[in-house]
Amino acid sequence: MTDVVRLDAVSKVYGKGQGAVAALREVSVGIPRGSFTAVMGPSGSGKSTFLHCAAGLDVPSSGSVRLGGTELSGMNETALTELRRQRVGFVFQAFNLIPALTVAENITLPLRLAGTRADGAWLDEVVSRVGLRGRTGHRPAQLSGGQQQRVAIARALVTRPEVVFGDEPTGALDTMTARDVLTLLREIVDGTGQTVVMVTHDPVAASYADAVLFLADGRIVDSMAAPTSEKVAERMTRLGAWV
Amino acid sequence: MISLAMRTIRHRGAAFAGAFVALLCAAALVCACGMLLETGLRGSVAPERYAGTPVVVTGDRFARETISKSAEKTKTKAKPLAERAWVPVSLAERLRRLPGVSRVVTEVTFPLYVAGRPFEGHGWESAALTPFTLSAGRAPRADGEVAVEAGAGLRPGARVPVRTPAGDRTYLVTGVTAQDLPGRETLFLSPAEARRLAGRPGMVSAVGVFPAVDVSAALREAAAAPGGVRALAATGDERGVVEFPDAEQARVRLISLGGALGGTSLLVAILVVVGTSALSVQQRQREIALLRAVAATPGQVRKMLGGEALLVGAVAGLVGAAVGIGLGFWLRSRFVALGAMPPNLRLVVSPFPAFAALAATVAAAWAASRLSARRAVRIRPVEALGEVTLPAALLPTGRLVAGLLCAGGGVALTLVLSSLSTEAAASPVTMLTALVWTVAVALLGPLVARVAATLVGAPLRAFRASGHLAAANLRAGAPRLASIITPLSLMVAMTCTILFTQTTVEDAARREAAAGTVAGHVLGPHLPSGAAAAMRGLPGVEAVTEVLHTSVRVGLEKYGAQGVTGEGLGRTLDLGVVAGRLDGLGEDAVAVSRTAAERLGVRVGGRLRLTLGDGTPADLRVTAIYHRGLGFGDLTLSHALVARHVDDPLGTALVSAPSLTRADLARAVPGTGVAETAGAAWAGPANAEVNYVAMGLIIAFTAIAVVNTLAMSTSARSRELALLRLVGTTRRQARRMLGLETLVAIAVAVALGTGIALVTLTAFSTGMTGSTAPYVPPLGYLAVVGAAALLALAATALPARVVLGRHPAEAVGARE
Ligand SMILES: Nc1ncnc2c1ncn2[C@@H]1O[C@H](COP(=O)(O)OP(=O)(O)OP(=O)(O)O)[C@@H](O)[C@H]1O
Ligand SMILES: [Mg+2]
Repeated sequence: MTDVVRLDAVSKVYGKGQGAVAALREVSVGIPRGSFTAVMGPSGSGKSTFLHCAAGLDVPSSGSVRLGGTELSGMNETALTELRRQRVGFVFQAFNLIPALTVAENITLPLRLAGTRADGAWLDEVVSRVGLRGRTGHRPAQLSGGQQQRVAIARALVTRPEVVFGDEPTGALDTMTARDVLTLLREIVDGTGQTVVMVTHDPVAASYADAVLFLADGRIVDSMAAPTSEKVAERMTRLGAWV
Repeated sequence: MISLAMRTIRHRGAAFAGAFVALLCAAALVCACGMLLETGLRGSVAPERYAGTPVVVTGDRFARETISKSAEKTKTKAKPLAERAWVPVSLAERLRRLPGVSRVVTEVTFPLYVAGRPFEGHGWESAALTPFTLSAGRAPRADGEVAVEAGAGLRPGARVPVRTPAGDRTYLVTGVTAQDLPGRETLFLSPAEARRLAGRPGMVSAVGVFPAVDVSAALREAAAAPGGVRALAATGDERGVVEFPDAEQARVRLISLGGALGGTSLLVAILVVVGTSALSVQQRQREIALLRAVAATPGQVRKMLGGEALLVGAVAGLVGAAVGIGLGFWLRSRFVALGAMPPNLRLVVSPFPAFAALAATVAAAWAASRLSARRAVRIRPVEALGEVTLPAALLPTGRLVAGLLCAGGGVALTLVLSSLSTEAAASPVTMLTALVWTVAVALLGPLVARVAATLVGAPLRAFRASGHLAAANLRAGAPRLASIITPLSLMVAMTCTILFTQTTVEDAARREAAAGTVAGHVLGPHLPSGAAAAMRGLPGVEAVTEVLHTSVRVGLEKYGAQGVTGEGLGRTLDLGVVAGRLDGLGEDAVAVSRTAAERLGVRVGGRLRLTLGDGTPADLRVTAIYHRGLGFGDLTLSHALVARHVDDPLGTALVSAPSLTRADLARAVPGTGVAETAGAAWAGPANAEVNYVAMGLIIAFTAIAVVNTLAMSTSARSRELALLRLVGTTRRQARRMLGLETLVAIAVAVALGTGIALVTLTAFSTGMTGSTAPYVPPLGYLAVVGAAALLALAATALPARVVLGRHPAEAVGARE
């Protein structure tokens, strides 16, 4: 199995001198194609920073990041943006959608930005997979939180990216809605071979993944294959976090 | 990206309302100014009095100078003169002999007053120029006869007492004309009496030529002949220009006023729009970050913002241009009412000003979006992921450098301004200086705001909960505070500068005039020549000085001048002579103010060549330099010389008679006003009111910008306010908090605006009056500050009421 994302000795330091914070320290890891990976760790452990560096949203202080075989270091902002546009999809915790655009327009936004046309069949499939058939004309304000996250997922999928990143995509949802969204992600990984990397605080959410990476103090301290919520919760307790 | 821009505008109307209103106002102002400017450049007046003559020949009313630009290229510049230029009767003879000319009609013009009302006097021979015909009676033939206009309401046989340049006389009405010219009154006398009253033997003010023949060759010949006569022929609408010299002056004024006002409003607009669009980018930070994360390149974000700006600018420009046309007509009516523009100077209406306004608005909007896009593209995509938005760097290096450069420009302009001593040169530089300083403050705003927030933190906390919150908000929200401070300080600075440059000159001139007037009484206006002589003979009268005002040109530059009689001058006027002697000011002598002497580089004993008001050249000896130039004019000439070269030789006289009362003097010169000089109101600069009207628009514009920004800034905080309400802040406390924040912004802005105005005014005062202390009436200043404070508080309170009136839970849930 090939790695879609590969980090080698990636460090990220915020600030300078006395007040410098090392958010990532020499992190090396590979994300296999077609896998569903969860990233966990105590608050402030560097999960978001890890995600940003892996996705080319932020530039590491040192080390190398390869996304789908392309080395990211040395790329300028426009080149990085174009690369993200083709190879990466995002789902954020909240504020995922442009309020002025309809659901359909939000979903096709990356295509529009790239100046390409939506592939009708694929768009239909994405919309029906996330269960938004018949709501494509609505505005974000007319949707529930869970539905908004589904729109964000559809948008992340529409460009057929190499990998979809989520930073606590279910963090703002109630348990039942969160389950639906996680099941959806799982189905996408299984059904289309999509790679998904997701930061989460929730051991139950992590149990939907194929593997869990544990971060603490900017380092990957452990990983776990075939996680269950009990095992993850126990591991997190040992890391000194309350969940 | 354009369609995305359009969607965003439709969705977030409120965020664009600010920029829209600012641009709309700018477009309206630019369009109105464009109309004034175009009228100044191309406007024409139709002839009335000269309507009946195909060709009118008059003296050349322009001071002309040929400037050689390079070896072979020369350019002739012409500036209008203050008085009518007369031509010798011999020119009429020459024209009469031209082949094809069947008739020439000469005209003399002089001022008359009936019960203080001004009339234009002519000889009946010039009636054919209009032509005037009689509806009743007969033409005036004898010396004591007069024909009146239809509108005068007189019948043949009536007697009218008339004040003429040669004294008071009662005339018998022998005829009434069928015509009546609007806007002025005319009296016709017998040709001989008219020539006597005009007081210029052998000269005529105009020659009408019938029928239309080309007289230019004859005029060239006349100019080339010994003692050459410079004359011009006018046909068509040019005759109106000759007939209404005021219109010509008004046109020149319209050009400079339109240019200055339009330029200033455009600069203010750019400043305001940059401010509002920066504010809207600030408020849309998260949305822009999201777009960046979803894969919009920095270029695409810039394009989207540019598209929004172009759309808003285009719509605002169109609506604004339409409003501006109305504004142009309103301005014209104000100017006509204030006498700054003759009613028959028609406003030129063409699509150019509207197009110019549209283009300027779109360009301003686009430029502003370019500037705020610099900040927008720096927004990092990761900000979309986080819960809180990261505050941007306080002051990016580029902005810091630009701010410092502007401050440097401000220093340079201030220095330049302090060396300018003419109103024409100083006025535009004054505005520019204040603006450049404001731009510098705007650029360095966040830094200023941070410092200010730290300074006021301690006193604010005295207000317990709301004060504490306000202090915290101000510290964290330095950029927001800065964005409010900019328009507020702009308003304070512009208003103070506009109002107090006027008061500074007025006050200095008034003080100089008061200090320099030694005589106890002033006679006039419209004092006939005999009256001064009669007064001199009155026992108890020590000295009488007759005074006339005119303006002359040295080269092309205009100087205010007074003509005074030399005898006993020291007992009526003290001009503050610093070199030479003033008494016995002869017809070949001139006294020059110190500032003018410096500018012209003349000294006592030197010579000064100038063009008198009617175009007559004069070469005079400088006999004195004095320092009270503001109060009395830059040049002082002999009364006799000036009287021969002005349209209206009826002036005023200063009387020094310590032993006599006002009533004693009034008995000696019946029908003439007598006033004590101490109480006599000093006549301010002629077009002060016009400036107030024009600049009032700029002030109104900045006020709109203030309201705009504050309303925008307050309504954008609905989420934050709702959150405060949910955690237990009462409405009162929230309102207090907002009020305190605005008060701090006002305090900072007033301090900054006052500082800018003071620096500008001090430089202006140094150049114009020689004193470093500008005159700022305390009440006027308090009114400016009070108005600014009230406006700002109202602009905060009203949107706050709306925002706080909503249910907090609902507002918190709403998307940003
Ligand atoms: N822009 C920044 N400037 C300075 N320090 C930062 C910045 N962003 C993150 N940090 C610091 O880096 C460290 C890692 O932050 P990060 O956001 O990656 O944590 P996290 O694991 O995502 O935490 P959470 O679970 O609370 O979201 C923290 O100590 C944080 O304070
Ligand atoms: Mg995080």
